[in-house]
Amino acid sequence: MSLAELIRARRSIRKCNSTPVDQELVVELLRKANRLQPFGETGSWRVVYAGTPEARKRLVDCMLEQMSQSKIGKLIPGKLLDVFKKRFTDIPAHVIVMSTVGPDRLTNDRNYAAACGMMQCFQLMGWEHGLGMLWDTESMIQHEGFFKGIGLREDERFVGILHIGYFDKAPRSRKRTPAEQKWTVLRGQST
Amino acid sequence: MKLSDLEGDMGGPSEFLDQPVSQDLILELLNHAVWAPNDGLREPWRFIFVDNPYGDIMQGLQEQAPAYLLVLVNAESDQHKQEEDFAAVCCLIQNFRLLAYEQSLGVRCTLHDWMYESSRTEVFGVLNNERIAAVLELGYGANQSKGTTDLPETQLHFELL
Repeated sequence: MSLAELIRARRSIRKCNSTPVDQELVVELLRKANRLQPFGETGSWRVVYAGTPEARKRLVDCMLEQMSQSKIGKLIPGKLLDVFKKRFTDIPAHVIVMSTVGPDRLTNDRNYAAACGMMQCFQLMGWEHGLGMLWDTESMIQHEGFFKGIGLREDERFVGILHIGYFDKAPRSRKRTPAEQKWTVLRGQST
Repeated sequence: MKLSDLEGDMGGPSEFLDQPVSQDLILELLNHAVWAPNDGLREPWRFIFVDNPYGDIMQGLQEQAPAYLLVLVNAESDQHKQEEDFAAVCCLIQNFRLLAYEQSLGVRCTLHDWMYESSRTEVFGVLNNERIAAVLELGYGANQSKGTTDLPETQLHFELL
């Protein structure tokens, strides 16, 4: 598969199977993705990994804490909440990414962009190994209890969680707008 | 080429050759790169290609390059969506860099303070409801290397929950 084919073939995977994910492989791919990210500064982001049943349960508990304690959440029947929880705890692995907050907007944006570039590279490499991922930035999970649960530091910003697993079937593609339709050319003036 | 086997310096060449960059090639690569994940298929990006054969249009703002690609991101939705949109554009840029590398096209991906100043960005046709996510300096490098340089091992900050 060429790079272009790989980039076009990757899908967000919302439903994975129960095949376990090897932590060693995740670390190896993160290491490689780190080397290929654009803004090249080390220490600008950090990864927390949840791969054991215990860690996964802890993560899902803090992800859904806010929801289950909210007014609406209390109206949700306990069983339904359990089904919802199980959907997440069944996912074999989660990579949580946070970037370092700098003294100014430029540093913040650079670090955040570096983390995002690394994550995309990691997703593509994962796809080459048959791993599917879903990049989760759902606003519902972004609250104090969750940030505390994942150990977000004062000088850090949450970038996203990648839910990771092998899958039986990839969803169909959704067509993209051709770049030509989002393209303007500006010519430099000769002096 | 298998991505997992890709090695080498992705930072882009330090100097570009005096060789033009084809618009068609950039469009071709972008049409692959737009397959980046983006929430709700908002496709929150737009591109301004700056053809710079005589090299003065970006003076004082960017380093010299035969061409520049201004990658714009939509900036009209709420803060959470804007963050997701910026992330999507970063993924697109990463795709583009990988594809360019395969074509031996050098890309220096830059973020600078002037990109936040609308008085400077409107000169290039950046609209009110968008902002510059990054400027890519494009060209062929004299020192473009493919897997020959030994990069220092970058540290991975990895912890268990």
